Amino acid sequence: MLSRRELLRASVVSLASGIVMPNLFARALEVAAADHRVSGPNAAVLDRTLIIIQLAGGNDGLNTVIPYQSGEYYAARPTLAIAPESVIPLNDQLGLHPSLSALHSLWSQGQLAIIDGVGYDHPSLSHFQAMDIWQTADPQLARHDGWLSKLVEGLVDSQGHPLSTVALGATLPPALCCPPTPPPVLENPKQFRLEADPRSVSLTKAREAALRQLYQAYQPPAPYAALLQATAESAALASVQMQQVLTSYQPSVSYPSTSLADGLKLFAALIAGGYGLRIGYIILGGFDTHALQADHHAQLLKTLGDAVAAFYADLQAKGHAQNTLVMTWSEFGRRVKENASHGTDHGTAAPLFVVGPGVKSGIYGEPPDLKNLDENGNLKFAVDFRSVYATVLAGWLEADPQAVLGQSFPQLPLF
Amino acid sequence: MERLLQQPLRRRKAVAGLVAAGLSALLAAYYADSRVSSSSLDERTLFRHLLRRAGFGLAPNEVTTWQSLGWDNAVDRLVNYEQVANHDLEALLAQYHFDLTTPNGIRLWWLVRMAYTARPLEEKMTLFWHGLLTSSLGKATPSEMIRQNQFFREHALDNYGVILKGISRDVAMMRWLDLAENRVGHPNENYARELMELFTMGPGHYTEVDVREAARAFTGLVLRKDGNDYVSAFVPSQHDRGSKTFLGRTGNFGPDDIVDIILEQPATAPFLATKLLRFFVTPTPSPELVERIATTLQKTNYSIKAAVKDILLLPEFREPSAYRSLIKSPVEYLVGAIRQLGAHGNLQFAPQALKLMGQDLFAPPNVAGWPGGTSWLNSGTWLARLNAANTLVTQRAMVQFDFHSLLGDPLPQDPQGVVDRLAEVFVDGQLADPQRQILYDHAGPAAAYHQSPDQWLDQQGRSLVYLFLALPEYHLN
Repeated sequence: MLSRRELLRASVVSLASGIVMPNLFARALEVAAADHRVSGPNAAVLDRTLIIIQLAGGNDGLNTVIPYQSGEYYAARPTLAIAPESVIPLNDQLGLHPSLSALHSLWSQGQLAIIDGVGYDHPSLSHFQAMDIWQTADPQLARHDGWLSKLVEGLVDSQGHPLSTVALGATLPPALCCPPTPPPVLENPKQFRLEADPRSVSLTKAREAALRQLYQAYQPPAPYAALLQATAESAALASVQMQQVLTSYQPSVSYPSTSLADGLKLFAALIAGGYGLRIGYIILGGFDTHALQADHHAQLLKTLGDAVAAFYADLQAKGHAQNTLVMTWSEFGRRVKENASHGTDHGTAAPLFVVGPGVKSGIYGEPPDLKNLDENGNLKFAVDFRSVYATVLAGWLEADPQAVLGQSFPQLPLF
Repeated sequence: MERLLQQPLRRRKAVAGLVAAGLSALLAAYYADSRVSSSSLDERTLFRHLLRRAGFGLAPNEVTTWQSLGWDNAVDRLVNYEQVANHDLEALLAQYHFDLTTPNGIRLWWLVRMAYTARPLEEKMTLFWHGLLTSSLGKATPSEMIRQNQFFREHALDNYGVILKGISRDVAMMRWLDLAENRVGHPNENYARELMELFTMGPGHYTEVDVREAARAFTGLVLRKDGNDYVSAFVPSQHDRGSKTFLGRTGNFGPDDIVDIILEQPATAPFLATKLLRFFVTPTPSPELVERIATTLQKTNYSIKAAVKDILLLPEFREPSAYRSLIKSPVEYLVGAIRQLGAHGNLQFAPQALKLMGQDLFAPPNVAGWPGGTSWLNSGTWLARLNAANTLVTQRAMVQFDFHSLLGDPLPQDPQGVVDRLAEVFVDGQLADPQRQILYDHAGPAAAYHQSPDQWLDQQGRSLVYLFLALPEYHLN
């Protein structure tokens, strides 16, 4: 494992795989250090990592954590309900979808917390509004910054890690939007590098030197100067380290062949390699199951459970599981009653998972009450999603939840 | 060198020293007095701006042609593109034989259209519709996606009602938003909801009841097998013929009635006007501007042609505050580079390159399309842009371009002249002095150039082109 000092040095001298900007790098370090002094909540002070898995599209909570004793559940889901004998029981009321057997093994090891009935008042049934609400932690949609953005401010943390926050996907998730320097966003980690001029090393070096100068010279008030500069800086630094990670990491287990598992493996590499990952963000999409839901949803849950289980098995072997927490979320659950297309329409409250040896295993919140639905035939929520955020912020990241969320919410005894 | 010598020596030294030291505060002060004048933009720059926004930029020899038309005629030519022959493009496409049953086949087919069309606005509007009225290969076949793409092209500047009624029966859309699953007694709300939320009014202008009632009105639209393909049909016997109450009106509404009622809502024209203004003019259109274009839409039965023409003729479109106020989408970046270079060859790399840049054509991230704006730029997509530029510039076996047509004949007299000409082509000549100086320095002394200009261009010239495509300014539109 590289020490932080070695890492820092390596990234500054390594010219081969990407451009490096020592001057700007130093400046970013100072800025990050200054931020750290003035702002209270800062994930970088801790040696802990939070991995967020977004289940995009609206996960069917009722078919994830299943009320397998509920007559109403079976009445509302004539073709989609999971038969009681297939459910993996958690207690005498609730059980997991059979595709979540790998996740159940984490439950058996006391490493899975399920928070049921998570939602908020006057829920939006629009994907985009609901996603914005969750990501800004503001049901009024008045805030534009993401709930995690304050925690990830600064290109590098106070120790000099440009990969302290990494989002996998095509665009920056709104939850991480928009610190002055956008954190690295990776679509394909292998291609997260600046390609060389195939004609010669000297041409590559010359143009990269010029490139560095051109971005340094592009200063405010020129349009988008701060964003362009920060993006180039972040790319230059992070891409060098990323390629080091990719070439050096040997996982302890074999991961499933899914892009979610690939992403979690990369996070494991960053955690175990000492690259200072504090927030990792990854999306598993496809949960908008309006039609022919059964097989598709089962596959998605299997992808989720298997990947998370492999991730923890790997981290366990490397001795880093204790400091890593995974949290899932989805913009809403789905309608209690299935539709005529063997699917489900947009719903409301749903369970979410918090995983890791650091969590107190158990079921929190309230199981869904299928006898007491809202006027659209949707579930009523039991736990405000911001209570979950507050719990994770305070209990895991040791940040001040009120400073981040703008108001105080009751916390759950998860830690 | 001549240009250099005209500058005060003190200033040149200062630039070199500052860049070396990276003293950003001092540089900012320097920059402030040397940046592009904000008072007005010259005509040539404005025409390049127009063709970048209403198209994908200009090949080196095109600017004079457009400029000689004058602004109003140039806008007329852009919007009345059906009068412009497109034979060269059709001949080129015939040569390529793209397989339109594969994802990459349809991507390449469209990219070639965008890069070599003589009707830039036709393709630009097709891109606009693809980003607004989204569908995806995630649920539809390549053949269905290309049929939708052709529909957008054929109706690119048609009335919005025609476009919405057509897209409601489009096979790819019917799959993407589950219209094909919407049955009497069991409405599927997906399309009805997104039609109002994302395509016409935005949230807050309808209720959950309106969503359900609209879904009922869309019943009866089905997919039918027709040879190897599916086509859509409206089957009255499968339509919910009961009375519906939608947005305050009651009747036995069908799909087209829903569209008509939505177009009567006061929220619809401003919604669409805002989308168009953000696409063509500024990320933050003023309420007055929105009102103005919304009024045009309302007065013209939602003529997109009238609205776009109005937009391109707006004084605000030509103001310095609009210049470089947008961030290029990946398609604008890559197709623009190909067009400006006059590059030809094998573009097989382009679909994957665009995906890495964050714009996988025919596969938007979700039904809301690409969020655009500043979200286009992050470290991953920035690297992908530069890597695509690297491919264009250095993979000589794959992509070819001609420096003589890029720079114009006769060739510039020295490397600085090459920089100046390239600056014209790629950034409208609007380059601050420190940037220009860095590129001069990179170009190096004139002796090597004079010895063999062509050899120099193939070496140093290609590096310079890469740097232009990498410039901060080049990512802006």
